[in-house]
Amino acid sequence: MKRKSTAIVAALAAVALGAAACGSDSDSGGASTGGAKDGNYKLAFVQGVAGDAFYITMECGIKEEAAKEGATVTTQGAQKFDPTLQTPILQSVIASKPDAILIAPTDVSAMQQPIAQAKAQGIKIVLVDTTLNDPSVAVSAISSDNTAGGKAAFEAIQKLAPNGGKVLGVGVQPGISTTDARDKGFEEAAKADPKFTYLGVQYSQNDPAKAASIVSAALQKDPDIVGIFASNLFSAQGSATGIRQAGKQGKVNVVGFDAGPEQIKALQDGTVQALIAQQPGDIGVQGVQQAIKALKGESNEAKIQTGSTIITKDTIDSPEGKAAAYKASC
Amino acid sequence: MSTTTSAPPASTEDAPTSRLSRISRLQALQILILLVVTVAVFTALRPDTFLTGFNIRGIVQNTAIYAVLGVGMTFVIITGGIDLSVGSVLVFSGVVADKIMVAYGGQGWGTVFVGLAAALASGLAWGLLNGILVAKAKVPPLVVTLGSLSAALGFAQIITKGLDLRDAPQTLVNDIGFGNIVGQVPTIAVVSAVVVIFGIVLLHRTRFGLYTYAVGSNAEAGRRAGVKVERHLIKVYAFAGLLAGFAGLLNLGFFQSTTIGGQSNTPLNVIAGVAIGGTSLFGGIGSVFGTVIGLFIPIVLQNGFIQTGVQPFWQQVVVGAVLVAVVYVDQLRRAAAVRGTPTRLPFLSRAGSTSRKGSA
Repeated sequence: MKRKSTAIVAALAAVALGAAACGSDSDSGGASTGGAKDGNYKLAFVQGVAGDAFYITMECGIKEEAAKEGATVTTQGAQKFDPTLQTPILQSVIASKPDAILIAPTDVSAMQQPIAQAKAQGIKIVLVDTTLNDPSVAVSAISSDNTAGGKAAFEAIQKLAPNGGKVLGVGVQPGISTTDARDKGFEEAAKADPKFTYLGVQYSQNDPAKAASIVSAALQKDPDIVGIFASNLFSAQGSATGIRQAGKQGKVNVVGFDAGPEQIKALQDGTVQALIAQQPGDIGVQGVQQAIKALKGESNEAKIQTGSTIITKDTIDSPEGKAAAYKASC
Repeated sequence: MSTTTSAPPASTEDAPTSRLSRISRLQALQILILLVVTVAVFTALRPDTFLTGFNIRGIVQNTAIYAVLGVGMTFVIITGGIDLSVGSVLVFSGVVADKIMVAYGGQGWGTVFVGLAAALASGLAWGLLNGILVAKAKVPPLVVTLGSLSAALGFAQIITKGLDLRDAPQTLVNDIGFGNIVGQVPTIAVVSAVVVIFGIVLLHRTRFGLYTYAVGSNAEAGRRAGVKVERHLIKVYAFAGLLAGFAGLLNLGFFQSTTIGGQSNTPLNVIAGVAIGGTSLFGGIGSVFGTVIGLFIPIVLQNGFIQTGVQPFWQQVVVGAVLVAVVYVDQLRRAAAVRGTPTRLPFLSRAGSTSRKGSA
């Protein structure tokens, strides 16, 4: 009976390997995207993380623009912003043979090979929001000007705390091109102003609970922190919680990046004093435009940078403030 | 397979045991049928994309690292233990291997072998520590490995200051992580298959495997029969650690990153695969083959759901339901087997009918 299971396994392994080997031959031509067809393109959007207002707003922009072009869109995202979770999702999306993939890579190096595989299958790639070490696999990379966004965050703190003091960065994790650039922009601006002491950046791994514990611990060590720059959605949520835990509401200015419903509420409540809103909808719209251009064989813009808006309590109810806020659903 | 007919009929004394082991094989077969049905359904829904070479290749690649961990986990769970530390040990070994490969320099095979040695040594060290604490200090395995889960990840973060390392040599990434051994057969899958076959032989063909079952079935009986239970437990945990270390190197090749933040669910995913595959969490029963099939199911489901446009969160719900249902059915059958009543599995009854004579 032992022999039996061993034999079954051996047979199975042979079948699996055989299938993998010969199956690929018939497929090695890749998904020919048929140059002549106009419209009816199949687009796929791979989010950095599912259920995040930033990516939902981007999805809204993508769907709107795709509808105009007569293209269909499917959206997929992992439950955490992590390359180990995004890789199998991307692989499945590639296997479903879309004409183009819009993707927010979760790691500058780890996603390089999986995305290169998509290109090898004849799929057009557009990088939205985040990018790669070598973005040349994509026809276009569209993102916010994140360094400028980081500088804007420091300018917001300068206005909120004109006397200067200690400032802290709460980042996501190193290796994400966008948040790295934001942190860098913030750091450069903070170091350029002698009135401020830059305490460095701590990483929350995109976990609000970890951001909260970082901020409450930092406030124990340096109770005189005047400003915190939380470089993404979850870091900002956690930072606000951390400040509440330490009982420092009103004494520490938090500048968040992004303007999801929770941030807008935090801004209204006064736990966050300013938000740097990106334009995810615009990124999505331009992403679709670039993808369609590539599919039609037109030339692409390799790099597009979109702007950002500073939202404070004063501008939150203005038409511009409302337009800049992210959506929780389309 | 025809050789199975010559299997000797079970004697009355060990009838329950053989029935149980037969059932665990039945379970693995049943899961295989479930997997085949799942694949068939998705193939029917997406005939042009699901059963393509590219997709099969992707599914196999995504299962490969889990399968390496699953082999070690199967042994540990057969002894009645558990190893929650595999994800952290994987990360720790990847970090150590990465650091040592950078210090050694180069991008070629030499560097990869140095990294391999480092990864295996780090994994083995954690496995030995787990084993000694479980076997000698008699700390429950859940607690020991929960501790090493935390500590190994902590050490990895101390070494790296929490920043993922990304200096995997090109050979590791291009030839092992994403390379093909022949045609479109991914190297990482072949490496993993070798580990799996080694695990199957070790479990079913050697004294080491026999002792593993013995320790899990009845440690005291094993001890009286001359099995050095404590030493064997240490060896089993060390083996699981060694494989986690090996998986760490593969992971480094596949993701080009030490994925410090990305492995928190890994041990649970692997344990779920082991349980779905018919290995009893109470010990004494199980197979490596079942584990591999059990690991494929969540990955195939996720892949299929994405291709059919189902919201991917459903994958977690379905995997959870499959896990509980499979273990429940298994439990029912085992209870029936202990009572001596034949199991009611008409569509499978022939598979195990060679010695189906109830002794009660």
